[in-house]
Amino acid sequence: MKNFWNNLYGWFDERLELKELVNFMEKKYVPVHRHSIWYYFGGVSLFLFIIQVATGILLLFYYKGTEDLAFESIQFIMSKVEFGWLIRSIHTWSANLFILAIFIHMFSVLFEKAYRKPREVTWITGVLMFFLALGFGFSGYLLPWNELAFFATKVGSDIVGAVPLIGEPLKIFMRGGEDVTGATLSRLFGFHVALFPAIFSSLLIIHLLLVQRQGMSQPMEFEGKKKHELKKMPFFPNFFLRDLILWLLVLNVLAILAVFFPSELGQKADPFAPAPEGIKPEWYFLFMFQTLKYFPAHIWFIEGEVVGVLLFGAAGILWLLVPFWDKRSSRGERNKLINYIGLFAVMFIIVLTILGWLS
Amino acid sequence: MNRINFIFTVIFIVTSAVRIDVYAQEDQCFICHDVLGDKPSELFKNDIHLKMKISCSACHGGNSKSDDMDIAMSSKEGFIGVPKGNDISERCIACHSNEEKMKAYGSNLPANQHELIKNSVHWKTSITGREHILQCTTCHNAHGILKVNNPASPVHSLNIPQTCAKCHSDAVYMRLYNPSLPVDQLQKYRTSGHGILNSKRDSKAADCADCHGSHEIRTAGDIKSKVYPTNIPKTCAACHSNAEYMGGYKIPIDQYDKFKSSVHGIALFEKNDLSAPVCNSCHGNHGATPPGVESISKVCGTCHVLNAELFSGSPHKKAFDEKNYPECETCHKNHDIVTATNALLGVSDEAVCSQCHSESENVKGFKSAAEMRSLIDSLDQAVILAKELINEAEQKGMEISEAKFRLRDAQQAKLEARTMVHSFSLDKFKEIVEGKGLLVTSSVIDEAKASIDDYYFRRYGLLISILIISLLALALYLYVKKIERKNTG
Repeated sequence: MKNFWNNLYGWFDERLELKELVNFMEKKYVPVHRHSIWYYFGGVSLFLFIIQVATGILLLFYYKGTEDLAFESIQFIMSKVEFGWLIRSIHTWSANLFILAIFIHMFSVLFEKAYRKPREVTWITGVLMFFLALGFGFSGYLLPWNELAFFATKVGSDIVGAVPLIGEPLKIFMRGGEDVTGATLSRLFGFHVALFPAIFSSLLIIHLLLVQRQGMSQPMEFEGKKKHELKKMPFFPNFFLRDLILWLLVLNVLAILAVFFPSELGQKADPFAPAPEGIKPEWYFLFMFQTLKYFPAHIWFIEGEVVGVLLFGAAGILWLLVPFWDKRSSRGERNKLINYIGLFAVMFIIVLTILGWLS
Repeated sequence: MNRINFIFTVIFIVTSAVRIDVYAQEDQCFICHDVLGDKPSELFKNDIHLKMKISCSACHGGNSKSDDMDIAMSSKEGFIGVPKGNDISERCIACHSNEEKMKAYGSNLPANQHELIKNSVHWKTSITGREHILQCTTCHNAHGILKVNNPASPVHSLNIPQTCAKCHSDAVYMRLYNPSLPVDQLQKYRTSGHGILNSKRDSKAADCADCHGSHEIRTAGDIKSKVYPTNIPKTCAACHSNAEYMGGYKIPIDQYDKFKSSVHGIALFEKNDLSAPVCNSCHGNHGATPPGVESISKVCGTCHVLNAELFSGSPHKKAFDEKNYPECETCHKNHDIVTATNALLGVSDEAVCSQCHSESENVKGFKSAAEMRSLIDSLDQAVILAKELINEAEQKGMEISEAKFRLRDAQQAKLEARTMVHSFSLDKFKEIVEGKGLLVTSSVIDEAKASIDDYYFRRYGLLISILIISLLALALYLYVKKIERKNTG
């Protein structure tokens, strides 16, 4: 048996020169320190993305992305397809955990200043993937074509329409017309299963290659220390196996959530029905939705909602460009401002999400 | 007694003649026109207004005291000649809407006719666009207006049908205003119970005004109309629930009370279902008369089409006809029809079948009734069980909407079975209950049970999965520790 594996390895090695890769892996180390725990959230995000792709493909076998059949096909998946309920519930829950894991990963990187030179591009690809993950959430939410999703998409795309100049054409592009219709469903379905995964995968490859190439970022206080003073562990197999343990634990959590809180389907969307009370977006959009509620109708001569959307847009751009305006961290100097900004952002998101949840 | 009446009549005629004579000497209009012998003055002799010493000038203007025609009929004296269009009614309204003036003449007539007629369909603009469709004189006449209780008056109860029919039986005229409105009301009325009594000069019998109102006649589609579906039972009950009024007619007066609590009454009054039958749906309106024993199923069948058809083709039709049983009414009653439940079917004391069928008499029917009841009860129980199981599965978070939707077929089968009862054929009944209802319920029950089982399967499955995954994680952890110990060592 051992010979078989050796032969197989030899066969591939002869063609792909795997030895170089193995050597690289063997020499790759992960810093060990009191903040090492945060390194694992990148891996968890990746694991959840893999689950998303796998369950998404399985759902595609039965899902029909048209206005007439979308709801019924999900109903069929939930009741007739063997383990269809499990696949859909895991897809839904892993989507939520995926975004949560990205949030944690992104903030840990921010607080660790891991975006500093030379990892600017890694940060940018990461933030872009975060935005895409939100896009995945938004586009996927409509796919069951139920009442709640229909009206939430309507509200969400209306907010997009509030962006000056490009908002209205963007809204029409997103909806495939003036209103949320079957055309919107087809369009968002296309985004969800083709366009977004293609872009996301490309960014992910770049992100992972950069991580492998540049290695894990060390905390700033480690800089200047001598090599023998730094604790580290081999990436393979130590860190990889630890990652695997966490993945298994996350899989357990997913299974529990999927069984005890299976995804609901609700009522089929009826465009002519009045909007149900208390329409809310998914939790990861809630802080933005709630913030917009606090804006007055008009600020000076501009609509309050427009100001809110513009502010969030500006914040998003600043967030994306953190490595370029935080020069101090790149120079190896401590920059407490970033910590305060990060802390404010975390508190802001948590408080506004809770307020939105309770409202 | 007849002698006394005769004396009083003579006194009345003599005194009236004297009064007319004395008054006429003062009313120069009437004197002249009477001499001329024209038709208006001839008619006016009997007019209530002349008797109340109201001169021609009250409507025509002019000076009735002057015997000089040029002065009496001069425009200076306000003479307007023959009023035209709405001016006709305005002359009437001038006095009849003035309560004080009416009292001054000793009249106890209400002074709100004008207010009422404003809401009437007759007060709408005529095709000329210049006047109302009707003027007061259209119904009351112009000269020779008599008291309403005068049998010669066109608006006396005995004459109202003819008066209304002047227009309403004129197809050419009615086409101008409402081409879809039938013009055979009078013809039908003459065949009705009311019309027959009216022909026999019974002024208590309902005439057009009793149901439609007199001055405030609204279209049947107007919610305030006395003949709007929700108002019809009360309109009929105004007479038919009045014990004193209905005294001599030997018909019950509890129809309204019974109807109110019936399935039809509840649909009408509580659910505001305008399609629910009201009195005229079964009795007719203008041709109102109770349906005959042999035609009850046809009358009920106008709505309950399938039931009526099945009944007509059933063995009961012949049996009921022979025994002169009123078809549907025999089992369901008439005014107090309640929602048909399973209790009506079967051989228990409360079941209607047992009125004719027993173990010793009409045995075949007895057995069929017992089996039909047993079948419909089984279907009911199966539906209840299916609902309970679906509810349980839903509460457990299982997706079972399709089975829930399919259960509607069982409800439909239940309805069909209830209809099929009227065929009184056990085979046909069985075909629906077993072939449709129980078949669906059994598949729904199986699916709901499987769904509940699946709920527990998922939990057990989860437990096993968690155990396996956790063991794997533990094994990996121990392996990592082993490697790390090795590295440290």
